[in-house]
Amino acid sequence: MKIKAAAVATATTGLLILAGCSATGGSGSGGGSGGDTSPIVVGSVNALSGPATFPEASQAAKAVFDQVNKDGGIDGRKIQYQILDDKADPATAAAAAREIVESDNAVALVGSASLIDCQVNGQYYQQAGILSIQGTGVDQDCFQNPNISAVNVGPYGDTTMTLTYGSQVLGLKKICALVEITGNTGPAYKAAIAAWSQSTGKHLVLEDDTVPYGASDYTPYIVKAKEAGCDAVYSNAVEPDGIGQLKAAAAQGWNDVTFLYLTSVYSEQFATAAAQVGKGVYVPAEFAPYTNANSAKNADWLKLMTADKIPLTSFAQGGYLAATYFVQVLKSIKGDITRDSVTKALHDMTPISNPMVGTPWTFGTADTHNSNRAGWPIKLLSGTGKWQLAAVDWFKLNN
Amino acid sequence: MIQGALAGLASGGLYATIAVCLTVMSRLARVVNFAQVAVGMFGAFSSVWLAGPGVPMWLATVIGILVGATLSGIVGLVIATWLAEADVAVRSGVTVAALLVLIALSFILFGTKPLPFTPIFRGAAFTVGTVVISQITVVLVIVAVAVAVAARLVLTRTLLGLRLRALSERPITAELLGIRSRPLSVGVWIVSGIVTTFVVEIVAPSQSNDAVALSMTVVPAAAAALLGAFRRLDLAVVGGLVLGMLDGALAQLQGLALLRYFLPFLVIVGLLLWLQRGEVWDVAR
Repeated sequence: MKIKAAAVATATTGLLILAGCSATGGSGSGGGSGGDTSPIVVGSVNALSGPATFPEASQAAKAVFDQVNKDGGIDGRKIQYQILDDKADPATAAAAAREIVESDNAVALVGSASLIDCQVNGQYYQQAGILSIQGTGVDQDCFQNPNISAVNVGPYGDTTMTLTYGSQVLGLKKICALVEITGNTGPAYKAAIAAWSQSTGKHLVLEDDTVPYGASDYTPYIVKAKEAGCDAVYSNAVEPDGIGQLKAAAAQGWNDVTFLYLTSVYSEQFATAAAQVGKGVYVPAEFAPYTNANSAKNADWLKLMTADKIPLTSFAQGGYLAATYFVQVLKSIKGDITRDSVTKALHDMTPISNPMVGTPWTFGTADTHNSNRAGWPIKLLSGTGKWQLAAVDWFKLNN
Repeated sequence: MIQGALAGLASGGLYATIAVCLTVMSRLARVVNFAQVAVGMFGAFSSVWLAGPGVPMWLATVIGILVGATLSGIVGLVIATWLAEADVAVRSGVTVAALLVLIALSFILFGTKPLPFTPIFRGAAFTVGTVVISQITVVLVIVAVAVAVAARLVLTRTLLGLRLRALSERPITAELLGIRSRPLSVGVWIVSGIVTTFVVEIVAPSQSNDAVALSMTVVPAAAAALLGAFRRLDLAVVGGLVLGMLDGALAQLQGLALLRYFLPFLVIVGLLLWLQRGEVWDVAR
């Protein structure tokens, strides 16, 4: 009896393993023989739940891919886009990456927007020989890995840009920095601020990098900056925290302060929720400002987003651009579309210009990638509830 | 430092009010209600959401308070029906589940983007040195004291209060004596929901409008309530104000600013150890 049970158990296990193998084998051969109609599998790892969420990047990329599929796909092959959630948890992020690379056998990652994907999975992507076009690179490793090229400027480049714009163009003399550090992003922010100091010769009056992330009240920090006599506050706050700072400043009656924020607060809801903003909030938008109604630059993107009811944010622009660049590179591949041929195409590509971005994007073979080095200055003034253009052209970083 | 402490009064007022609500709930409903602020948050977000399509502000606020009261009542009904004889720890655990559900639900229903809150109270009340004390802070402190006084009066001077105390200390005996436990319990939850939603409606327009940040203010408020061992209302008010001011003062000192994160935790651990100081520890367990 015992032996019989063991035999049955072994047979069942064997069958299950075989079934599993054939399932993965089936999708694995998707990138194989030419002239087939198997889907081109593309993946992305995103922060869809957790302390900060960026769902729009992958939604926008999916919209682009759906449009391509509707128009017939690439050489008759449809793009199958896998959107995975890393829940801001490193273990989940690692598992998601492995699922995309090994189970789904993706040819590339496109449109990811995550707090931790780059630092958790960067080395793994190098080992697996797969490239990632980040829809929005958030952590510093997105800009320091040969296998990852983000389409956005990134919070660090954005920091240098907003400080430079504030000191050189707006003529602000005493800037206080309220920096919210999560994880190990501290040194990268310090380096970004140092880059600003080096190129402009100016220094911060106050730098506080212990500002809490996700607190509900920021009065003590605003009071501190006000006491230091600053005429501007730089912060890398996300939307709710930015609102908290603005409300605290308004409650303190601090009306002659200018706020230098990052693209992370650029949304219509932020503008509506912020009432009194001192002398204004200035942001270097990473892509052509979508709130500018006349913009021909964003026409295609705007049409696709409104058709699919995707919120209009810079993350949606990033995801759209990542997918658009990728499709353009795919169309240039002569022969089979596999992970290797896609990697080669991205390495050998010529830079792609897009009116939504100030500098052309490329992947290439460099050790680090940071193609987007320009921002379009926009401002939010008290009582307007809307973002407005603050310049008529791109503001470019020199280095 | 003083400026920092005064700056911290803004959150101190909120902590004090929630701490009073937590203490009252603990005494009457035998539960540490971790969903206290989450209920208020949901009600406040509902108000803003209603005000969007043009519902007048006062009506939206009232409806928001009703929403908060109903949610609180539902949680109370669940606990009173199925956990009437469970101990405090189990009942409090259920409120943690309610907290998480409410946060998730608010993200699903109201989105993750900031909402435009219209302030009910706005502007400065007075200035001390260079720090402005806002009207909201003053109102919150007044509400905290008022709720504490009202709760004490109801509990000690009225028949209702007597019944509630009986119900909380000896639930089975009270039922056998004919005190109707479930309606009274749910009533306590509903009133607590009304008060909290009202408080959050006042304070939310001046804060970061984030569902998680608002709901999690229950943690420092619980630390403040612990000062009164979840029994004394006066100490809960004092605890809230002191905690807020300490928070603000620490933020000014660059070196110790990191301590700010751990302040509620340190207060909780410190107070728990202090409260257990007389126990012989293996006996206490």
